[in-house]
Amino acid sequence: MTIAHIQGEEYTIEYEPSSHTVAFRGTVRLQSSDEYAPITELLQTAHSEANTTGQLTLDFRQLQFLNSSGISMISKFVISGRKQDRVPLRVMGNQEIYWQQKSLANLQKLWPKVVIEIL
Amino acid sequence: MTNTVVTYGYWEELEAVPSLGHYSMSLDAHHLVQFWRRCSLSSNFWSRYMALWVPTPPAPGHLRREAMEHLLSYLLNELFENCAKFSGGPFQRINYAAWIQAEGMVFELTNQIVPAAQAPFATLIEELLTSDLDELYFQRLEASAESNASGSGLGYLTLMKDYGIRFGFRFSPLTSESITVGVQAHVALKEL
Repeated sequence: MTIAHIQGEEYTIEYEPSSHTVAFRGTVRLQSSDEYAPITELLQTAHSEANTTGQLTLDFRQLQFLNSSGISMISKFVISGRKQDRVPLRVMGNQEIYWQQKSLANLQKLWPKVVIEIL
Repeated sequence: MTNTVVTYGYWEELEAVPSLGHYSMSLDAHHLVQFWRRCSLSSNFWSRYMALWVPTPPAPGHLRREAMEHLLSYLLNELFENCAKFSGGPFQRINYAAWIQAEGMVFELTNQIVPAAQAPFATLIEELLTSDLDELYFQRLEASAESNASGSGLGYLTLMKDYGIRFGFRFSPLTSESITVGVQAHVALKEL
């Protein structure tokens, strides 16, 4: 069964298979890479189900905070996407959320094919 | 055991510097590990508290209050998480201190580590202070993707590279089994 939804105390992560979008909401500041494993798994599922002619969208527009372990987890996912080079990646950010304004562009430096839209 | 105090980076003797305000708080490292959300909760409280020093609208070229609050929350959460993760030995006290100055804010977090943990941390600090930050950041991420190890120093790298925060570090031997580590973060009110 595909896990489509992860609910934490201060966050939700939702995978919408029809639009190939994974949306993050709230504050994600987990303790270790082990705690991030279910999120990585969800991202990998979404990636494997995405059509090579389409794209996979990571929607961070309502993600208030992500700690450095979380940034590392997302970065590793982008690196693995680059290595497979199968599905283009789109990242949606929010201009009002300062860390996104400052740090989301790093993902594009990891893989120039990542499209970043900060609205 | 060495009795030498070792200092790296941008370290200021803050008691001697005039400040507009000084705040402090004392915590137990075990309690942060026990309820991890206390790291986030503490950082959110102090970020909101300190950001009230930023007037609205801000001085020309300065960060807006909301941006400062976000920046401080990210910074302090990383520092509290580090104290929780790396505290070791017989003492588990974490001290948070903050100073507001005319051109910026300074935060100092101290905790205790076992003596064997000093050398690896000092190596990381030297790398952070002498390397090209952009290059080191991406190198660390690529390496962590290969080895599946946690990307050590990524929190500091992000803070230095993306937010222009200047860090100072100090190791002060406490007993033969414990070393106090101080980390100072200097945040400018001006936008990078």
